[in-house]
Amino acid sequence: MSENRAFESIETTKDDLGEQQYIAGDEISTTVFLAQQLGKPLLAEGPAGVGKTELAKAISGSLDRPLIRLQCYEGLDETKALYEWEYAKQLLYTQLLRDQLQETLSGTKSLAEAADRLTDEEDVFFSMRFLLQRPLLRAILSDGPVVLLIDEIDRADAEFEAFLLEVLSDFQVSVPELGTLAAKHMPIVVLTSNNTRELSEALKRRCLYLFIGYPTSEQELNVVRLKVPDLAPQLARQAVELVQSLRQMDLRKLPSISETLDWAQALVTLNIDNLDQKTLETTLSVLLKHETDLRKVQRQLSRMGGDEEEETDWDDELRPPRRAE
Amino acid sequence: MEERIVKFISALRSGGVRVSLAESADAFAAIDNLGVRDRDTFRLSLRATLVKDVESLPTFEELFPLFFGSGEPPPLMNMMEDLSEEEANMLAEALRQFGQQLRDMLERLLRGEELSPEELETLGQMVGLNHADDLRYREWMARRMQRALQFDQVRKAMQEIMELMAQMGMNKQRLEQMRQLVAQNMESLREQMRQYAGQQIAENMAEQRPEDHLDGLMDRPFQALSDGDMQKLRQEVRRLAALLRSRIALRQKRAKTGQLDAKATIRTNLKHGGVPFQIKHRDRTIKPKLVVICDISTSMRHCTELMLSLLYELQDQVSKTHAFAFIDHLEYITPDFQGNRANEAIQQVLIRMPPGYYSTDLGHSLQNFADDYLDTIDHRTTLIVVGDGRNNYNDPRLEIFKKMARRSRRTLWLNPEMPMLWGSGDSDMLEYLPVCDRILQVSTLSELTAAVDQLLVEK
Repeated sequence: MSENRAFESIETTKDDLGEQQYIAGDEISTTVFLAQQLGKPLLAEGPAGVGKTELAKAISGSLDRPLIRLQCYEGLDETKALYEWEYAKQLLYTQLLRDQLQETLSGTKSLAEAADRLTDEEDVFFSMRFLLQRPLLRAILSDGPVVLLIDEIDRADAEFEAFLLEVLSDFQVSVPELGTLAAKHMPIVVLTSNNTRELSEALKRRCLYLFIGYPTSEQELNVVRLKVPDLAPQLARQAVELVQSLRQMDLRKLPSISETLDWAQALVTLNIDNLDQKTLETTLSVLLKHETDLRKVQRQLSRMGGDEEEETDWDDELRPPRRAE
Repeated sequence: MEERIVKFISALRSGGVRVSLAESADAFAAIDNLGVRDRDTFRLSLRATLVKDVESLPTFEELFPLFFGSGEPPPLMNMMEDLSEEEANMLAEALRQFGQQLRDMLERLLRGEELSPEELETLGQMVGLNHADDLRYREWMARRMQRALQFDQVRKAMQEIMELMAQMGMNKQRLEQMRQLVAQNMESLREQMRQYAGQQIAENMAEQRPEDHLDGLMDRPFQALSDGDMQKLRQEVRRLAALLRSRIALRQKRAKTGQLDAKATIRTNLKHGGVPFQIKHRDRTIKPKLVVICDISTSMRHCTELMLSLLYELQDQVSKTHAFAFIDHLEYITPDFQGNRANEAIQQVLIRMPPGYYSTDLGHSLQNFADDYLDTIDHRTTLIVVGDGRNNYNDPRLEIFKKMARRSRRTLWLNPEMPMLWGSGDSDMLEYLPVCDRILQVSTLSELTAAVDQLLVEK
């Protein structure tokens, strides 16, 4: 294992992330570097599928640290996020150790004495052995430095957010039976949010903020080239242009970079060498995830594609009138 | 530099961005780390630490160049030295016909002289720049400064000069060159004034003490609210919504752990040999469904808007909200709220449904509802009417309202008027009253918040 690797500067951050096939702009690399330097969690916000989760993976890859992921959902609570006692295992052990217990307790004169002896042994049952570690605790107790990804925090309940504040601010938790457990290494924390609800001020205050929007066509093309190298350059450019123009439309769910990549992959798999009307119609469903969007775009495309003549007619009207003699 | 950053932060605050003390400390820590030499890195480090909202990003991007320089305005070109003697004479001739003031300005444009700081200051004072503390006034201020410099007359005069000189036999190409140059110079001056106006406003913003933005607004009646007050209250609504949300969520959660579910407990504990290690509770709470019918006529607008903002901030605590708005007829407005802030959504609705004088007709609107949307009410729905019950002496259509109330789980009415006034004049409130389960008087934001809290309590 490499010793504690860290990003050295903004440029190396960018390069290191690039090596993990993650193309980071100045914004992303600066914020990631800052998050590491200041030891603050990084809150990445933006539409779905622009590579927020990917960023955490790239960080973990380039620093050679394991990634611990906590996926949030409605109803997530401490027992799922932090720790839980393994009741079943405890029960099993008490059953199996019954003879041992009998022995320990034999020869006691009073009930109080027996209880005292039992208390001495109590620690056996409430020790790390029976503690089921959930992602947060795993990140805190891990031997080496890790990257902790708390994915889609906006889906968790507001109370969970409040609980998270405590963990994020000093990276220690108290388990009543065991005492306070503090982190050996400060993990790099990445939180992602799709902005489906407003996060609390308190949580935002503790984080560095990074908004990842849709990429420019140049960036997107680079990503497509990197991730789907088999796609012909000409086709890649066309595809990216089309996706970019789709983002200008009023759709229910705009295609993200992840959809572009899926689509590019689909084009490669289907051995397509030219983006014609038919290909578009058959593969568009990879890009658009709503029936209404799909129909809207198909209508738009057929209007753009087929009737060139109509367009010239329309042009005529815009042409300046001939000067009168 | 530090002082500059502190000023910048305080300008951000007065621009409506929430920046806490901890965050500004972070900003300084970030700058300690990365330095200020690279302008872009500097901008990004400030942005990552100070701005935590997509909506605040534009404010940041607008203010940043005003505090930390954004290249000088494009330089002005001197035309005069380029002229031949003959041309200069022609120009002098042409200029002679204008008044002193205008001539000075024209000459200055031709010479390409920029405005000195003193001149800018005087100009600023003339147009009242030192009272402006909102960047929305920037363009307006810049335009007023241009007017003070008589830009319009100058443009006209320039036209005349060109024509005159053409008559005097000046080379056409040269003239065109000159015209372009002057236009460019004017553009540069305009940019200089724009920058100056922006900087001044930003400074004013920085000096403005962040006022305590509630001073009694919570308890001020809706009718007495100005637009500025509403702006403040809109921000407050978000904070209140967050508060309410955790209250409601907690309530639902606690309710969940209320009753023992014996069946489920036995079933899950079979694996422990029937020893009840894991206790299961009954999931009793169901999130309420809401149907909200709102009066958006002029008298009710503020109340309705704040009410709807609150409700839409709390969407995750409600299983479904159907919102309707009416003045003289009813419209389904839920789609307007998708991806919009409540005030924008209300604006949109108001464009579709312009308020007229004395046109409120609840009876007709109820008829619309019964015709088209009655199926949105079922036994789990809480029906909420926000309105003053003033019906302009139209038929109140009580029978429809009764039918709706019967179908729903409960019926609430939020009325901003005092109970004393109910039934007076064209108010049909007293007739609707017995049909409702509850009537809450909501004339201020604090009352409104309490009412929303109430209505999300499951009965």
